[in-house]
Amino acid sequence: MNRDIVARLRGFLDSTCVVEDETELLVYECDGLPLFKNRPDVVVFPKTTGDVAQIVRVANEYRIPFLPRGAGTGLSGGALAVEGGIVIEMQRMNRILSIDTENRIAVVQPGVVNLHISQAAAPHGLYYAPDPSSQMSCSIGGNVAENSGGPHCLKYGMTTNHILAVEAVTSGGEIIRLGNPAGEPIGMDLLGSIVGSEGTFAIVTEITVRLLPKPQAVKTLLAAFHSVEECSQTVSDVIAAGIVPSALEFVDARTIEAVEASVYKAGYPLDAVAALLIEVDGFRDGLEETASAIVEICRKNRSYDIRVAKDDEERAKLWLGRKGAFGAMGRLAPDMITMDAVIPRTRLPEVLVAIDRMSEKYGLGVANVFHAGDGNLHPLILFDSRHPDQVDKIFAMSEEIMKLCVDVGGSLSGEHGIGYEKKDFMDLVFSEGDLETMMRVKRVFNPDGLLNPAKIFPSRRACTEVGKHATTSTAEIGKRVEAILLGSPEKVQR
Amino acid sequence: MTIDGLPPLKVLRPDTVDDLAKLISNEKGAIVPFGAGTQLSFGNPLRSADTAVDLTQLSRITEYVPADLTIHVEAGVTLGQLHRTLLENKQFLPLDPWNGSAATIGGIAATNAQGPFRASGTIRDWIIGMKVVEVSGKISKSGGRVVKNVTGYDLHKLYTGSLGTLAVISEISLKLRANFERTATAIAQFGDARAAAACLASLRTGPLQPVACVWSGSNNEIWLRFGEHAKAVEWQLKNLPKDADWTAHEGADEAAVWEQLRQRYNGFGPVVVRVVGLPTQVHEIIEEYRPSGWIAHGLNGIVLMRLDSGDEIPRIRQKYRVVIERAPLEVRRGVATFGITGAEADLMKKMKSAFDPDGRLNPGRHVDGERL
Ligand SMILES: Cc1cc2nc3c(=O)[nH]c(=O)nc-3n(C[C@H](O)[C@H](O)[C@H](O)COP(=O)(O)OP(=O)(O)OC[C@H]3O[C@@H](n4cnc5c(N)ncnc54)[C@H](O)[C@@H]3O)c2cc1C
Ligand SMILES: Cc1cc2nc3c(=O)[nH]c(=O)nc-3n(C[C@H](O)[C@H](O)[C@H](O)COP(=O)(O)OP(=O)(O)OC[C@H]3O[C@@H](n4cnc5c(N)ncnc54)[C@H](O)[C@@H]3O)c2cc1C
Repeated sequence: MNRDIVARLRGFLDSTCVVEDETELLVYECDGLPLFKNRPDVVVFPKTTGDVAQIVRVANEYRIPFLPRGAGTGLSGGALAVEGGIVIEMQRMNRILSIDTENRIAVVQPGVVNLHISQAAAPHGLYYAPDPSSQMSCSIGGNVAENSGGPHCLKYGMTTNHILAVEAVTSGGEIIRLGNPAGEPIGMDLLGSIVGSEGTFAIVTEITVRLLPKPQAVKTLLAAFHSVEECSQTVSDVIAAGIVPSALEFVDARTIEAVEASVYKAGYPLDAVAALLIEVDGFRDGLEETASAIVEICRKNRSYDIRVAKDDEERAKLWLGRKGAFGAMGRLAPDMITMDAVIPRTRLPEVLVAIDRMSEKYGLGVANVFHAGDGNLHPLILFDSRHPDQVDKIFAMSEEIMKLCVDVGGSLSGEHGIGYEKKDFMDLVFSEGDLETMMRVKRVFNPDGLLNPAKIFPSRRACTEVGKHATTSTAEIGKRVEAILLGSPEKVQR
Repeated sequence: MTIDGLPPLKVLRPDTVDDLAKLISNEKGAIVPFGAGTQLSFGNPLRSADTAVDLTQLSRITEYVPADLTIHVEAGVTLGQLHRTLLENKQFLPLDPWNGSAATIGGIAATNAQGPFRASGTIRDWIIGMKVVEVSGKISKSGGRVVKNVTGYDLHKLYTGSLGTLAVISEISLKLRANFERTATAIAQFGDARAAAACLASLRTGPLQPVACVWSGSNNEIWLRFGEHAKAVEWQLKNLPKDADWTAHEGADEAAVWEQLRQRYNGFGPVVVRVVGLPTQVHEIIEEYRPSGWIAHGLNGIVLMRLDSGDEIPRIRQKYRVVIERAPLEVRRGVATFGITGAEADLMKKMKSAFDPDGRLNPGRHVDGERL
């Protein structure tokens, strides 16, 4: 990288806020998806919105790529510096600026850890609803970028339903405010468009979130089944009965095996083929009846073991297994990738059976632990990265899973985003024309494509095989395709 | 028919989405899409209207899978039609825009229309996918048909509230809710504004969870609607704020009282504005501007107020965001509907020209017609 650029950055950032040491940079060469790696040229840690704006202006001046990064827990390669350049690490902007209990809002900086918002709001009887399983580490800025979900999104909605306003730095370095603390949409919904734009529209520097009052009461239960069909049928029957659980999570036998052998041991029945973790919350009055109705539905579907948590401690234990499931997989294989796809929930049984068949076909173990209530699958593919042939199989298998999900009316991602990982699958769901429209909107926000390049839009199918090492050549092809779709190649030249 | 005093040269009535796309690709001048026509004077005054496109023939429910809690409809489906279909499966869309069941889903989305029932947000929070026809006649889609989806950009959010100025909405996918087991509305009248405001303050920090909470002036009534498990509704009715005489309404009676509120709102005029504050500012807003009539969303901080003229709007804008809900054409010519300024307005203008470089879709209605 041009020495001038680093000197310019050091001109207004503390020395501890600019990292260019090769070994230190290794930490930032990938996010939670280590299949793709590329080292940025420099990582900077802004402390204020002004810092972010200045960094962006420097990047623009030298026409080098830049991208925001939160906690790096993303699972689709969203924070991967595909073309190198400047990674803008938001973790030092991590203050909760205010909690307004009467208006039930909090104003926070993007580097705040998701869980810390709920912890800060707890003394006031409030909490922040979207709770990705990574909530102890992921940043709220990353959540905004990915429109993250979590178990409780079934009843309470995704991140987009809880973000009232943001301050952001545009790709040109301008500071902009969108939305308002009342959460009242005024005119075209730019705020709603930024949420879920995977860090390709703007860098979010301050966020106003909605807080919810903690429910009066919560009931959590675990129901075990001898078959996947009965388990899936229960999901449909609960929804059909008009019950809106706050969570409806599926864990399969392999997950149970891993969890029970780990520190996340939750007492899940080891002989179950599949189990559901179901939670309902709300007013104390009526909750008992709702829980009984659910137990009834589970029984009707031949659940052979139903455990209702008696107190908070038992409840926490049941959740520990679910939330720790990803972490526990290390017990089963040295490496794992977390897939994310979404299907209409009524198609669950057939899709799970088909994934099982694929697991046999490719000889790769698959564990299923996911948000069944909204049809958001997370097949965890287990492998050993020391065997390159297994890595190739993963690419083939994930493509097959994506096709399957799209075929039954689903989509490529329920909560982790497209990022770098799935950009080449986008044309399974969207036509070239659809993608051109999306690209046109991207260009309004990010006209030069310097902000987080080579994400979301397909480059060319064959290039996914590049595998472990994301190279500039993939990015080059991506740019060319972008140019073709936009019909103006000169614009994307840099 | 005239729209903002402009008589369109022709009115097109496409029967299918493909038909709509073909018709639009053949047009040269200004295109004004419309649904039930209940809100054709919302937004900044139209600059021109060569072709009006009536979307009410696009009234098919294209797919409904009750067990998935999703429905896919063409833009001309009315809210009434939708709710009748959903009722058969004890489901609903938790929205009640003020003009009621005649409005089309496309129009409700284009205006991001809302009513008192805002506990779960506006239609933006229920739309999971959209198909639109762009000014070139190209059909494009975003989102999908599943309740949870982060594949590609949420362009349906962008189209929502853009008043048909970016593209014509042709199909919408929605997520749904199961019917509440029971609903009930409790209404009480308070002696003065201060007493009503105190009641709202107690609700903000108390245990009740109304799905609609309205402060209707000038007779200082508080309206609370509850929807939940029957026992939870019962509990809430038993724990209403003390020091007030609450009357509960259920069933047909409940529907009738909300219809009365709607009439009250519809009787407001000549100028109606939506002032956007915080829940804790509602009282302040009413005290400061002393409207003769208002309906405030007590737990959202939004005050719909009746004004005698548009003269006061700039003054209110010095402190709050204000949207003009309804006003005579002369007033709308003089004051911007949304009051969007600065970098936000610039971005919106760029968006408009990215979709419609020649300014032919509802010209002037949105940011392209905002003057300060
Ligand atoms: C064990 C585990 C469990 C998980 N469970 C879930 C789950 O249940 N639900 C779920 O939705 N996700 C889950 N995730 C995925 C991940 O945690 C989320 O996507 C999260 O939102 C990423 O946040 P982050 O701060 O780590 O972002 P990063 O990974 O650092 O970045 C993600 C994207 O956001 C962008 N970004 C970051 N900060 C900003 C900003 N301030 N402004 C603009 N763009 C920004 C980046 O450029 C990148 O594109 C899980 C991940 C792990 C490792
Ligand atoms: C008395 C009254 C009170 C109201 N109060 C409120 C209120 O308080 N808050 C509020 O938010 N709304 C309010 N509304 C607005 C109203 O609820 C919505 O605007 C209405 O739902 C629009 O539906 P429609 O089918 O009648 O649309 P139309 O009136 O036909 O069209 C409304 C606008 O949307 C555009 N449009 C319509 N269909 C499409 C489409 N398919 N694609 C692109 N653009 C399209 C039209 O060009 C026009 O600009 C009120 C309306 C009335 C009549």
